[in-house]
Amino acid sequence: MNIDEIFDFTSFTIDREPHIVLDTTVCAGCDNRGCTNSCPARCYTWSEEEQKMTFVHDGCLECGTCYVVCHKSAFTRWRYPRGGYGVAYRMT
Amino acid sequence: MSKQYQAIIVGAGPAGSSAALTMALAGLDVALIERGAFPGEKNMFGGILHRMTSIEELMPDFWTKAPLERHIAKKGTTFLTREASFNVQHETVNFDRAPYNGYTVFRPRFDRWLAEEAVKAGATLITRSTVDDLIYKNDRIAGVSILGRAGQIKAPVVIAADGVLSFTAQKAGLRRPKFNADQMAVGVKALIDMPREMIDDRFGLVRDQGFANEFVGATSGVRGGGFLYTNYDSLSIGLVFHLASLRVSGKTPYDMLNEFMEQPQVAKLVRGGRLMEYSAHVIPEGGYNMIPELAGNGILVAGDAAALCNATGVNLEGINLASHSGILAGKTVIEAHQRQDFSLKTLKRYKERLDLSWVMKDLKGFRNAPRMLHIDRIYNEYPELVCSMMEHIYRIDGTPKVSIPKLVLREVKEKVGLKNAISDALTAWRAL
Ligand SMILES: Cc1cc2nc3c(=O)[nH]c(=O)nc-3n(C[C@H](O)[C@H](O)[C@H](O)COP(=O)(O)OP(=O)(O)OC[C@H]3O[C@@H](n4cnc5c(N)ncnc54)[C@H](O)[C@@H]3O)c2cc1C
Ligand code: SF4
Ligand code: SF4
Repeated sequence: MNIDEIFDFTSFTIDREPHIVLDTTVCAGCDNRGCTNSCPARCYTWSEEEQKMTFVHDGCLECGTCYVVCHKSAFTRWRYPRGGYGVAYRMT
Repeated sequence: MSKQYQAIIVGAGPAGSSAALTMALAGLDVALIERGAFPGEKNMFGGILHRMTSIEELMPDFWTKAPLERHIAKKGTTFLTREASFNVQHETVNFDRAPYNGYTVFRPRFDRWLAEEAVKAGATLITRSTVDDLIYKNDRIAGVSILGRAGQIKAPVVIAADGVLSFTAQKAGLRRPKFNADQMAVGVKALIDMPREMIDDRFGLVRDQGFANEFVGATSGVRGGGFLYTNYDSLSIGLVFHLASLRVSGKTPYDMLNEFMEQPQVAKLVRGGRLMEYSAHVIPEGGYNMIPELAGNGILVAGDAAALCNATGVNLEGINLASHSGILAGKTVIEAHQRQDFSLKTLKRYKERLDLSWVMKDLKGFRNAPRMLHIDRIYNEYPELVCSMMEHIYRIDGTPKVSIPKLVLREVKEKVGLKNAISDALTAWRAL
């Protein structure tokens, strides 16, 4: 399983309006960045070179991990997507 | 959009639909609100629906009507290292006849079906609607608002059955604004497509028999465990990680899941299968000690929202607790309508009901289980110990044999340390 191909095996109805909004300036000063390895969909990427955090909500499984793992409350918004948007499991 | 109901249930998972069904059967006009396009669209779990005795009372033909997969006739536990595995299996004809002890199910099917049963009983299901906030009138809960939509859905009482993160309970001030990563876990799962005959042959199953296997040592040293369950023509295979441990491990859930599926003995079990779906979800594993306030003025909290999940290390029970708590919440709301009092004074009966039920008794009884699951040695050293001991016992190679008690002692000393082993055994004994 290659996580970069997540859109091939899990379905999403992507909302343009992100349901999670991150204050990346908080991330710049974070001492552990547990979100980057804990997120099961690899939505968080830290660039050591640019000292910059990138968050992409498109493949978010709405699992809740980052909400619990972030100890810095870096979210200016963390909610579920609007009704009908987001991950759409068929079987599971 | 502004309609008045007698009760609102936020979330059409097992807790919410069980509550809605209970109230609808009693003639209440209730709204069951779900953010998914259909109930179950957002939900995943490992895969075993345990006995649901409380819903059997509401619906005596539950087990013949529900969309089930295989019944669990065979259970196993595997201690796993990178190279080796040691299996313990249990099978009995008693688990091979009705009433069965559990079934594999798919949430998008099961949750949808259960919500439809509530609708048949008279509940109104409102899908594609994410509850945004509670609305108040004269300091009392009067309904909810929906994200991105004007108007309100009104009722004098709300049941928060919106799952583990329960923003509804948070907004009502019933759960703490921050979770403790020590009390939470995340599960990731791969659904693997596989022909039915292949599953039957591979796992030694006939008819509708199913197999459920748990794995210790499958999580690369991170606190957690693995599972493999058989559906009719697919396998559910996955890992669960404690978040406090995962966070500092530097490892990713998907890499560890891949490693797990590539472990030589596990690879043989999934060989020939095709990945169909990948999913993930957080689990409230803190047990009794993390239960929030269960009731407030005009509001009750049920299921995962109330952290009613029992992770003993042997089984993971959630849906059965969710459903039972939903039913008790529903009964309490029925009573509140009879009295026309939705204050905490009446609604706190819900907590009393729960305290008297097996739900709280089990959670209380296993309140120390989370402590046992925090013994890091379980996830690395013990599986190593078991597998290496078995290798020594089975190996015949012309060298003199060590007696088994001596071997056990030597291996325990070497791999775990005697003191640690005794203290861990005590912790485990107290926990279970
Ligand atoms: C990996 C894993 C393995 C598990 N294995 C098992 C197992 O084998 N057996 C078992 O019994 N349990 C298991 N569980 C636990 C079980 O899944 C849960 O305990 C159970 O689903 C709880 O039911 P619930 O109705 O309380 O919550 P949920 O099932 O989470 O349902 C909540 C519902 O509310 C909806 N919702 C949330 N917020 C809103 C909102 N704002 N507005 C509208 N709708 C909303 C969601 O879409 C969802 O449908 C497992 C869990 C996980 C994650
Ligand atoms: S843990 Fe929180 S603050 Fe740290 S990098 Fe991740 S999101 Fe940012
Ligand atoms: S909710 Fe889960 S999948 Fe989505 S960004 Fe957070 S950790 Fe990743």
